[in-house]
Amino acid sequence: MNNKTAIRLRKGAASNPAQVVEVDARGLEPPQPLVKILETLAALPAGAELRACTDRRPMHLYAQLEERGFAAATEEQSDGSFITHIRRL
Amino acid sequence: MKGSSTALPLLFTMTGLLALCTGVVWLVLQPSLLATYHYNQYVIAATHLFVLGWICSVVMGTMYQLVPVALETKLYSEKLASVQFVFHVAGFVGMVWSFRVWHMTQLAHFGSTFAVGVGLFVYNMARTLRRAPRWNITATAVTAALVWLSLAVTAGLSIAAAKCDYASALESSPPALVAALLHGFQAAGGFVAHFDPVSAMHAHAHLGGVGCFTMLIVGVSYKLIPMFTLGELQSRRRAAWSIALLNIGLAGSFVTILLRSPLKPAFALTVVAALAVYGREIAAILRARKRRALDWGIKYFLTAIVLMLPMSVLAVVLSWPGLPLSTFTGQLENLYGFLGLIGVITLAIMGMLYKIIPFLVWFARYSRQIGRTRVPALADLYSARLQALGYWAYLAGLAATSGAIVLSNETGVRIGAGCLALGVATLALNVGKMLAHFFKPALRPSALPASLTPKTA
Repeated sequence: MNNKTAIRLRKGAASNPAQVVEVDARGLEPPQPLVKILETLAALPAGAELRACTDRRPMHLYAQLEERGFAAATEEQSDGSFITHIRRL
Repeated sequence: MKGSSTALPLLFTMTGLLALCTGVVWLVLQPSLLATYHYNQYVIAATHLFVLGWICSVVMGTMYQLVPVALETKLYSEKLASVQFVFHVAGFVGMVWSFRVWHMTQLAHFGSTFAVGVGLFVYNMARTLRRAPRWNITATAVTAALVWLSLAVTAGLSIAAAKCDYASALESSPPALVAALLHGFQAAGGFVAHFDPVSAMHAHAHLGGVGCFTMLIVGVSYKLIPMFTLGELQSRRRAAWSIALLNIGLAGSFVTILLRSPLKPAFALTVVAALAVYGREIAAILRARKRRALDWGIKYFLTAIVLMLPMSVLAVVLSWPGLPLSTFTGQLENLYGFLGLIGVITLAIMGMLYKIIPFLVWFARYSRQIGRTRVPALADLYSARLQALGYWAYLAGLAATSGAIVLSNETGVRIGAGCLALGVATLALNVGKMLAHFFKPALRPSALPASLTPKTA
């Protein structure tokens, strides 16, 4: 597992033109995942989606997203990690 | 989803720290509390200051924060928690005073007040647990701890009830509900009066100390140690066995202590076995961790786990049937209580507070600024040097006080308590540094990496 935060830009398929920014916030001690995700969010291009990967369900993130005008949906992965899809409201 | 308030956990925690400071100063001023046998009003008062004022306050406050996060849900009711705080503080302050002056009627009043608070806490936690989307070992431990806490409070009230006189109260024709409560207390007191009072007190102490606090240390650390060391629980089976053995050992210990049964050692050894399994799992988690360096918060906590070893030896020795009652064995009992409350449980809590309080303060003060300005790291909120000084001072205090207790030496207890006070003072100073961020935040202009700087078209 890559402990360093990796940020990759990926263009979506033609049927889903939204840009997806991925943040790997696994392997970080709280509250570093929260900080990394929100700092990435601050520079998120308009219309893009942020996909954040964390070791735990990011319970402290949701209220911060709501306050900043973002919606989130979290899915648990088979390896026990979580992916949170974040979009502007 | 609205985030949970950090104010309430901080309020409980500050109350706890104030009680801890008061308690260690009390030990410095009155070393006879530990240098002589513990069955007197002053020792019982001081014990309840540490147990209810310090430990319960911090445990309850942090559980309001940690349990919802650990179980991936929200606290059932923050309003209920606020109401509980009032009953809690009024209750424990009144109880400590009542014990000190040995006013049993007032003790029953304040004990009932405290019990109402515990009832609200247990209800709030139980409703929160019911909301948990998935069950885990921490949820099991928290549930068990809530049951033991309820039983400990019930036992405590019953012991107090056995020392009260109800004739005058019942003769005054109180309202039906009050009369029913009085009859209930009278019945409970009548039942407890069948047992040796010292055994009843010891049984009550184990319900709280082992059942509630040790159970929580074990259960919650299975979540927190992996989180803070970037590790994982290695064996769910081993963790489950530690909780199961702890429950079995405590249930048996409670009954055998109360009845002064020769089977006491069997259940003491069961508790020891539970702690041995727990220690093995923690060691496995640490061996597999990704974060190699252990910060002082974790060091405090791990030292508490190491102290469980001499505690276990003492527990087995003191449980031995036919152990002669002497000044020396009385002092060993003092040492057992001291190492349990001021050693294991307090060190474990101090370690966790060094992880929890910075987060609570940081989250309350800086979470809204993340991404907008540069926010300090958690470690910037306090002094690692003070942590280190506090650690060594506290360990020296534990060692010196322990030796002095065994030798019934008041001067030694005073010196040891002084070292403990220094250790606690460093914690208080560090907490002050953290809280100062509410008034003087350390914010700097944002400096996002170039790769994240929005590109203009």
